[in-house]
Amino acid sequence: MKAIIANRLALVGAIITAIVLAGVIVGPWLSPYSPTDADFMALLDPPSGSHPFGTDSFGRDVLTRILYGARVSLTVSISGVLAGALIGTTAGLVAAYFGGWWQAILMRVSDLLFSFPSFVLALFLMVVLGFGVVNIAVAIALIYAPIFARLSRNMAVLVKDEPWVQAAALMGQSTWSIITREILPNIAAPVFVQVALAVAFGIVIEAGLSFLGLGVQPPNPSLGSIMADGREYFSRAPWVLTLSGVAISVALLGLNLLSDGVRDLMDPKLRARL
Amino acid sequence: MARAISIGRVSSRLGGVALLALLGSATVFFVMRAGQGDPAIAVLGDQATPEAIAAFHKKWMLDDPLVIQFWRWLSSAVMGDFGLSMTVAGGTPIMGLIGSRLPNTLFIGAYALVIAVSVSLFAGTISALRHGKFTDTAATSIAVLGISMPDFWLSYVLVYGLALGLGVFPSYGFTPPAQSLTGALYSGFLPALAIAAPMAAAFTRILRTALLETLYRDHVRVARSLGYRDAFVFIHFVLRNALIPYVTVIGLQIRYLLGGTVVVERIFGIPGVGALMVDAAFGRDYPLVQACALTFLLSVLLVNFVVDLICAALNPRQN
Repeated sequence: MKAIIANRLALVGAIITAIVLAGVIVGPWLSPYSPTDADFMALLDPPSGSHPFGTDSFGRDVLTRILYGARVSLTVSISGVLAGALIGTTAGLVAAYFGGWWQAILMRVSDLLFSFPSFVLALFLMVVLGFGVVNIAVAIALIYAPIFARLSRNMAVLVKDEPWVQAAALMGQSTWSIITREILPNIAAPVFVQVALAVAFGIVIEAGLSFLGLGVQPPNPSLGSIMADGREYFSRAPWVLTLSGVAISVALLGLNLLSDGVRDLMDPKLRARL
Repeated sequence: MARAISIGRVSSRLGGVALLALLGSATVFFVMRAGQGDPAIAVLGDQATPEAIAAFHKKWMLDDPLVIQFWRWLSSAVMGDFGLSMTVAGGTPIMGLIGSRLPNTLFIGAYALVIAVSVSLFAGTISALRHGKFTDTAATSIAVLGISMPDFWLSYVLVYGLALGLGVFPSYGFTPPAQSLTGALYSGFLPALAIAAPMAAAFTRILRTALLETLYRDHVRVARSLGYRDAFVFIHFVLRNALIPYVTVIGLQIRYLLGGTVVVERIFGIPGVGALMVDAAFGRDYPLVQACALTFLLSVLLVNFVVDLICAALNPRQN
């Protein structure tokens, strides 16, 4: 029964995430409007047949801007998280397998980064690296690398003493092949859950930074910068802020449900092992 | 609960906190210097002459070896002197800027924490006890929606719904708690709620799971079979055990909670450290950014230290 509910959660999450991804990839091509060109004949038009989400103060189609903006936000978040996951997981696996001083340093560094409020860390890194889209991705990677390092290290320490890993070592498999073929597949599920959660939070970080004006610069859209635009003329055109906010929530909801569902699915195995 | 926590544990934890604080100060300092930004350009502008830049470097002693600069900065920071602000409030001591704003940030953070804890204690208990029923489904669905609402988006829902729509709370501005506590509670309610909502959702989920895990354990069944009243069994045998993971998660979420203050302070016009740090970021006031980041780090370290002690008191086996 629980498995079905979890499955359904994961399924709904996966469907929402797939729709969001499809919309972000295909949507901008289907739209007849430009995300940045102003149209002074259609300033602040309410939602209608030709502009389903209305227009903003430059007469730009809000739906088109949200699709392009979500593309930017998702690209930044996904690339940042994947880079962080790659670096962090590698470091964590190496630490778990070889131990020693490398592990001690890695754990102190991740303790330290865990003690910064994430958004404060993001803000700090933006000042150090300079404002801009690419640097948001770098900041997200730096924020998430220690989380992946610790997660994969803790999981790998548990897995590496399992009989089949010992057997592989006795059979003369190389270290590299043991790490990639015996350990990695067994920690892939929790890492995936963390990736989904991290992408969700990465979207929040990007949106927050762009919302403050430290991230994506106008006229280019991102979910955060559209919201920042929208708040300035909320009383005349409430749809801009509202619909871009709803867009963020839908994307987050899909990712959260997906990671919840997958976590529930793998939970019995995890609990038995821990 | 009254069982003493060993002094050794407290002091070793305190040592860990001090070490992290030192590592954190070094990281913040050296990472900041590793960035390409030159404070002289930030203050004097792109057109500054090389002589002016050199004079600026000399005035702020930026030409000394980094280690010496770090030592100078750290030793005065320990004495409560973070130097002077460069651009945001040119020439004012940073300590005063942060000192006047930190109480506001901590107030909003604590306020949000109280809201999140009370809501989640209530919602988590109800949904665990009515497991699988409508109330449970409703509470867990709201919780999933809650974690999908970033605080800045929720802030606007609250501002336009409650403040401007119903006119019950102010949409902007903040009365510091030092001036009037009731005023601070009133004007800080919406910002605290915006930060608290995603936290409350996360706390509710963990409390529900933890309660469900203990609710059907053997010791609970035994206690019930001995004829203790339901409320007594729940508080002493169920909740007591479920509190350990619950408090641990609260400790882990503190950094998100304090991070949330940054944007929310900007939206609601609260003069706090978060808003100050955003101003400092825009003004490229490097020493001020550095000091704000460190203030947040120290706040998280101290709160986590306290959470750690609470966990140790709740779970004597850890000692």
